[in-house]
Amino acid sequence: MSNDIWVLAEHQEGKVKKIVFELLSAGIDFSKKTGQEVAVLLLGSGLEEAAKSLTPFADKIYVMDDPSFTPYTSDAYLPSIASLIKEHQPSILLGGATSTGKDLFPRLAMHLQTGYSPDCTGLSIGEDGKLIARRPLFGGKVFAEMAFSEARPPMATVRNNAFLVNENLDRSATVISVPPHIDPSLLKKKVIGFEKAPGAKLDITEADIVVAAGRGIKAPENFKMIEDLADALNASVGTTRATVDEGWRDLKDQIGKSGKNISAKLYMAFGISGAIHHILGIGTCKTVVAVDNDPNALIFNYADYGIAGDLFQIIPALTEELKKALAADR
Amino acid sequence: MEIYVLVKQVPDPEAIVKVKSDLELEIENKYFTSFFDEIAVEAGLKLKEKFGGRVTVLTVDNRRVDALRRGISMGADDAVQIADAALEGSDQFAIARTLSAYLKDKPFDLILTGRQAMDDDAGIVGPAVAECLGIPHVHSIIGFEVDDQKREAKVIREVENGRETLTCPLPALLTCQKGLNKPRIPLVMNVMKAMKAQIKKIDLASLGLGQSDMSPYIKIEKYVPPPKRPPVKMIKEDFPENVRVLVKLLREEAKVI
Amino acid sequence: MEKVDVIIVGGGLAGLSCAYELADSGMTVLVLERGDFSGSKNVTGGRIYLRPILPYLPDIWEQAPLERHVTKEVFTAMGKTNSTTFEFYSERFNQEPYPSYTILRAKFDRWFADLVTEKGGFVIPQKTVDDLIRENGKVIGVKSGDEEIGADCVVAADGILSFLTEKAGLRKPFQPQHFALGFKEVIQLDSKTIEDRFRLSENEGAAQLFFGALTRGIMGGGFLYTNKDSLSLGLVVGLHSLNRKEPREEIYKLLDQFKERPEIKILVKGGEVVEYSAHLITEGGINNMPRLYTDGMLVVGDAAGLGLNMLATVRGMEYAIVSGVLAARAIKGAKERNDFSASSLVEYEKLLNDSFILKEMNTFKNTLAVLENERLFTKYPQVICDLFEKVMWVDENPKEGIYKTKMAELKKHFFNIETFKDWLMFRKI
Ligand SMILES: Cc1cc2nc3c(=O)[nH]c(=O)nc-3n(C[C@H](O)[C@H](O)[C@H](O)COP(=O)(O)OP(=O)(O)OC[C@H]3O[C@@H](n4cnc5c(N)ncnc54)[C@H](O)[C@@H]3O)c2cc1C
Ligand SMILES: Cc1cc2nc3c(=O)[nH]c(=O)nc-3n(C[C@H](O)[C@H](O)[C@H](O)COP(=O)(O)OP(=O)(O)OC[C@H]3O[C@@H](n4cnc5c(N)ncnc54)[C@H](O)[C@@H]3O)c2cc1C
Ligand SMILES: Nc1ncnc2c1ncn2[C@@H]1O[C@H](COP(=O)(O)O)[C@@H](O)[C@H]1O
Repeated sequence: MSNDIWVLAEHQEGKVKKIVFELLSAGIDFSKKTGQEVAVLLLGSGLEEAAKSLTPFADKIYVMDDPSFTPYTSDAYLPSIASLIKEHQPSILLGGATSTGKDLFPRLAMHLQTGYSPDCTGLSIGEDGKLIARRPLFGGKVFAEMAFSEARPPMATVRNNAFLVNENLDRSATVISVPPHIDPSLLKKKVIGFEKAPGAKLDITEADIVVAAGRGIKAPENFKMIEDLADALNASVGTTRATVDEGWRDLKDQIGKSGKNISAKLYMAFGISGAIHHILGIGTCKTVVAVDNDPNALIFNYADYGIAGDLFQIIPALTEELKKALAADR
Repeated sequence: MEIYVLVKQVPDPEAIVKVKSDLELEIENKYFTSFFDEIAVEAGLKLKEKFGGRVTVLTVDNRRVDALRRGISMGADDAVQIADAALEGSDQFAIARTLSAYLKDKPFDLILTGRQAMDDDAGIVGPAVAECLGIPHVHSIIGFEVDDQKREAKVIREVENGRETLTCPLPALLTCQKGLNKPRIPLVMNVMKAMKAQIKKIDLASLGLGQSDMSPYIKIEKYVPPPKRPPVKMIKEDFPENVRVLVKLLREEAKVI
Repeated sequence: MEKVDVIIVGGGLAGLSCAYELADSGMTVLVLERGDFSGSKNVTGGRIYLRPILPYLPDIWEQAPLERHVTKEVFTAMGKTNSTTFEFYSERFNQEPYPSYTILRAKFDRWFADLVTEKGGFVIPQKTVDDLIRENGKVIGVKSGDEEIGADCVVAADGILSFLTEKAGLRKPFQPQHFALGFKEVIQLDSKTIEDRFRLSENEGAAQLFFGALTRGIMGGGFLYTNKDSLSLGLVVGLHSLNRKEPREEIYKLLDQFKERPEIKILVKGGEVVEYSAHLITEGGINNMPRLYTDGMLVVGDAAGLGLNMLATVRGMEYAIVSGVLAARAIKGAKERNDFSASSLVEYEKLLNDSFILKEMNTFKNTLAVLENERLFTKYPQVICDLFEKVMWVDENPKEGIYKTKMAELKKHFFNIETFKDWLMFRKI
């Protein structure tokens, strides 16, 4: 039985996702106290680049190379990961709270008959050496600290920006090639198409900065202003249900209870009234800025900085101001 | 088609939820049928309208059957409540085991659930039921078509950088996300009928389950109030000075850009 | 067309009390409410007097989610930079059954709707009634979306802008002077803080009214009520008077400025605004009520124009509840006679005439005219405050005798023909 902390490494177009480095940084932090090793699970095909980028962040990299891992399906991933877990009995398994993590982990946990805590915003190791996961309930109105049964390994998926990436890690991982465990008769789901989202922007759940506008922006074409602001900040663009229901914006950009929870470092809301359904999606953002021409808008209750003013005036000026400020840095 | 929809009555997003003690919450008495579950019911009804068959709504809940009534008022044919004292305090895995025990010998083509329940926000029950039943699942779908002849569903799932289309043989379990459809608002007369409908109630023993099957994998050790944001700093300067002040604050005080 | 016995349009206090009273008579009662749930859109400053209601609706109050019983009445006259407060406490307010409570409608109405359901009534939210269905002039049902539902009797409980009374041709077109506009915030604060700040014991509540500079010459006033763990803070202004004001006042700014007053700031400090709402208030009085019944239909509550507004004290809830109960009684009678024509439903008007509602509205029928007087919310509060300020002020100059100060002020402001006229007017209330 190993005592390693495992992290599932998700990657997209050959690049390992930022959340993986965040989790490895946390894992290494934990391992300093407990002397455990930190290992990465890397499934896919043609993984050299990805493995290389992970080397300083882990002690071991379990690589399973097989074309049936790309694109992801739980049918391919689950048996391979499950058998490796059964063999090595890691002490913890972590992954990002991503579309893959949320698809795979609950099922894997049921398969292994072990505990899983979804969508966490924090992890810690208790005095008894056990994992404690912190996660929002009721859309963030309360948080819970989750404990796990004795079964191994306790599992958790974690939101972006819960941990900082430690760039100064000096591990040097050994790559361990593992044969995949694939039974073609169990590959029931088949990915037959993929439509890439337009633009090169990160998903709002992954972006460090998200700027958003709501119904206050009045017309779909006015989102151009927000796009420009986003470009200046290298941010992604979010929105409210109101504009999605109007057909102005795509559902994938909807923040809130029936959309996405974001954990950006900076969130800026323009012309968003601050309905609780929306607010629940931004609870774990670090800094929140709100601009609304109604000084009584509820959004100001949930912001760090507020301007009661006209977004049509403020957004362009802010874009210019930021461009100037950021250019001066370079 | 035989379709089962798993539904749950949860506190409304607008309900006040507060931490009362380490292990107790105070929840305002405002409940509704979890929004994603209504989407799942709607999806089931649309299939029934196309292919015929039956839609059954199913809940594990000792107290509330309103989600079942909502399902009936929307057009579900049948409703089943699983209730048992042993279910008190069970985790999502035990709920999934209970639901699967009921479903395992039913002749289903499709099981539909919400992406996540709007109280625990877990998204565990759906995939876990699929695992127990040994059927494929797709999580968080925003579009689908069923080919009854081929016994196959074509499903669209949202991923971080786009949309993925998959095929999945039936029987399968799909968890439903906003965007899949707009749940119908039931007719007044159907709501009245649903309010009076008889609801089947089943206990764990009749599913061959007992207290020992309910032991949790995860446990809430402690509730904690959410981190509180300090009071808002309103930038009172006039335009365009306010924009400059904001940029300065973001750079020098918040240090986020 | 499917049919029920009674359809009530609007699940506010008037609609729900009517439904409650009807539900256990064995009739099928259907309440259609356009909000997400009963109470989701209902605004009230938040004070209800139980004594007038108890004879009509005795048995629901013990369990009801009321906030605090009011033991302390506070009146504040506000000058531009000063204020005078008068506080009244009586042990009588603190004896059960308590005469008056503060109330939050979102909570109360939702609870009441559940109670009606328990009794066998059907309360169905998210249903807007779009039209009446009529046959030979008689109301025989309603339309909601694509659905048509028939009923022996339709009760219009659809609130102040009652679209049903208009559809049924029961009322004249509205004028601005028929309305006041109320807007309020619910500010969350823990109960201990509230009790400390307002010097209250547990469960006791305060009701504070404000007149004067806060409305900037617009007819109206402010209110502040203590709930269990929140405060209801708001303003009521006459629409007519608001429209006449030059330069125009932005309403939310008035509330903001009110909140910025040091007297208020300290009371709401640390609280979080959890609700903001605006709503019209009936001000038309007994002379501007619609007709209350027609063949197959009755009108109750705000929809019937039942309400009184005396600057910031609004009375509408008791009227809504009792008119709902009386309508239910009339409907039961009509059912016995199996006659829902106007000549049978006239019973309702008789019951209303005999109740405190129309008697009170008659007594106060001149309030509006009296309250239109601008001096009431500009001059007099300011004078009172300035007088106190003079009396209390000590500076480097030798202080004048108090009597002298007072008399000079009083002479200047009160012993004149204008004030005499105002005083004569006042006797009409
Ligand atoms: C079950 C359920 C789930 C929901 N889920 C979500 C969800 O996930 N996400 C979500 O966002 N909503 C959700 N909603 C909807 C939510 O309740 C609100 O209706 C929605 O968030 C409002 O969007 P908005 O702020 O864009 O629009 P509005 O509420 O209309 O606000 C527009 C704002 O713009 C301001 N404005 C107007 N003009 C200007 C100007 N020139 N300059 C500056 N400001 C201006 C206005 O003052 C106002 O504050 C849900 C609702 C329900 C019932
Ligand atoms: C700021 C303010 C302060 C007040 N303070 C007090 C106070 O302290 N004390 C007091 O006694 N009174 C007060 N009032 C007055 C009191 O709130 C009203 O008189 C009372 O709410 C009237 O009840 P109602 O049931 O007639 O109408 P409402 O409570 O307005 O209910 C009408 C219902 O009908 C629904 N509806 C409307 N149209 C339709 C439709 N077409 N289809 C379906 N449903 C529909 C609405 O959604 C609503 O739920 C105050 C009012 C305001 C605005
Ligand atoms: N007690 C329950 N009874 C029936 N279905 C449930 C129950 N709990 C969860 N579900 C279903 O599983 C989905 C995900 O729930 P959860 O894993 O709790 O987030 C919900 O949207 C429901 O469809």
